[in-house]
Amino acid sequence: MLSTLTALKPRALLLQLLNFALVLSTAFMMWKGLSVASNSPSPIVVVLSGSMEPAFQRGDLLFLWNRNWREDTKVGEVVVYNVRGKDIPIVHRVVRKFGGGETPLQLLTKGDNNAADDTELYARDQKYLNRKEDVIGSVVGYIPFVGYVTILLSEYPWLKTAMLAIMGVTVVLQRE
Amino acid sequence: MSSEGKIAVYSLADLKTTTDDILPTYLTSLHFTPTHTASTIRLALGYSAVLLAAALFYFDYTSGWATTAPYTLPAVLVYFALNGAYTAWIFIVERGAVFEGVGPQGERVVVRSRSRKNEGVYFLKIEITGAAGKGMKEIDVEAPFTRWFTRDGQIVPKPFQQWLASSVDVVGKADPTNVVEDIGRGSSIEEKGTASGVNIMGLPVERMGELLGGAVKTGGGGKKGKR
Repeated sequence: MLSTLTALKPRALLLQLLNFALVLSTAFMMWKGLSVASNSPSPIVVVLSGSMEPAFQRGDLLFLWNRNWREDTKVGEVVVYNVRGKDIPIVHRVVRKFGGGETPLQLLTKGDNNAADDTELYARDQKYLNRKEDVIGSVVGYIPFVGYVTILLSEYPWLKTAMLAIMGVTVVLQRE
Repeated sequence: MSSEGKIAVYSLADLKTTTDDILPTYLTSLHFTPTHTASTIRLALGYSAVLLAAALFYFDYTSGWATTAPYTLPAVLVYFALNGAYTAWIFIVERGAVFEGVGPQGERVVVRSRSRKNEGVYFLKIEITGAAGKGMKEIDVEAPFTRWFTRDGQIVPKPFQQWLASSVDVVGKADPTNVVEDIGRGSSIEEKGTASGVNIMGLPVERMGELLGGAVKTGGGGKKGKR
C-alpha cells in the first residue's frame, strides 16, 4: 500500500500530504470560526453525565452562545461553565442570580437531576459562578445522542488513534 | 493499487490518475521540459494556509482562549481567504492540468485531462502557444481507457503513446515512430497476442471505442466533467 506513496515524486508527495493537512486545518479553522461567532472557547459540547436528565441525556450535542446582546443571562437558562482549576465543562441550569448591570453578574447553578445545588462542585471557597469568567455559554440548541461518539472516543482512547490513522490513510492514498 | 502497478478497472479515478501519471513521463522523455510554476503556487497557497492554522493551534494550545481570542478572527478570515485562493487556483487556473511545459521547438504546451462520470473515456485538451508567444492553438482529443489498460488493470504505455503521438502533432513531431494509422494495433504486445493485450470484452480495440462511443450517446450526456 505504502509503495504508492513512496513511488510519488517529492512534489506529488507534498501535494498529497497537503490534501490531508487541509482537511484537518479546515476542520480546526471552522471550529475556531464558530468560536469567534459565538464568543465561546468551546461552542459545541457533549453532555457527559446524567445530571440534567430528563432535559439532556448523556451524549447529547449542545450548541452554545456566549453573547448577551439584549439581556443578561436569566434564571432557568441552561449554561455551561468551567470550574476554576478543572478542565471539564459542566452543563447545569441557573437557579439564582445576583448582581448584573454595574456589578458583576453572579449565578448559582444546579443539575435538574441532582438533589443539591452546585456549591459542592465549585472551586474551594467559591459560592457563585462569575458569568463573565466562568461561564462559556448558554445552551441554544441541541442534537440528541450524536455526541455519543466523543464519549466513546474519550472512554476508549485507542479509537481516537485508529480513527485518525484511517482518516490519514484514506486521504493520503485516495486521489481526487 | 497493488505493488505490481495494477489498478481496479472499475475505478474511473484510478484509470484517470494512472494515465495522468504516465503522460508527463512520456512527454518529458520526448524532451518536453516541464515547468512547475503552477504547482509551486498551489503548494505555496495550500501550505501557507496550513501553517497559519498550525500556528493558531499551537498558540491556542499553549496560551488558551483568553489570550488568542483577539487574533482568532483575523486568522480565520486569512485562512479561508488562502483556502479560497487555493481552490480557485485549482479550478480556474490549473483546470486539471497534468503537464505544463515547453516543447522541443520552444512552444508552450499545457495538457489538461478530464473524465466524465460513468464514461470510460479520457479527454485531453492541449493548448499550444508558439515559441514567440503567438497563435494559441487548442486541440481536444479523447480515447477510451481500454486502449491502454489491459483487462486486469495493467497500463500499457505503448498504445497510449501511439494515440497521443498520432492525434497531437506536436507530440507526433517529437516522436514520429509512434505515429500510426491504426492506434493500438502496432504494439508489440498485441502482435504477439498475449493475454495482456486483449481488452475487457475481447473485441478489437477499434470496435471497443465504437461501443463505448455508442453507449455514451444513448446514455445522455450533460453530466458535469470530473476534473
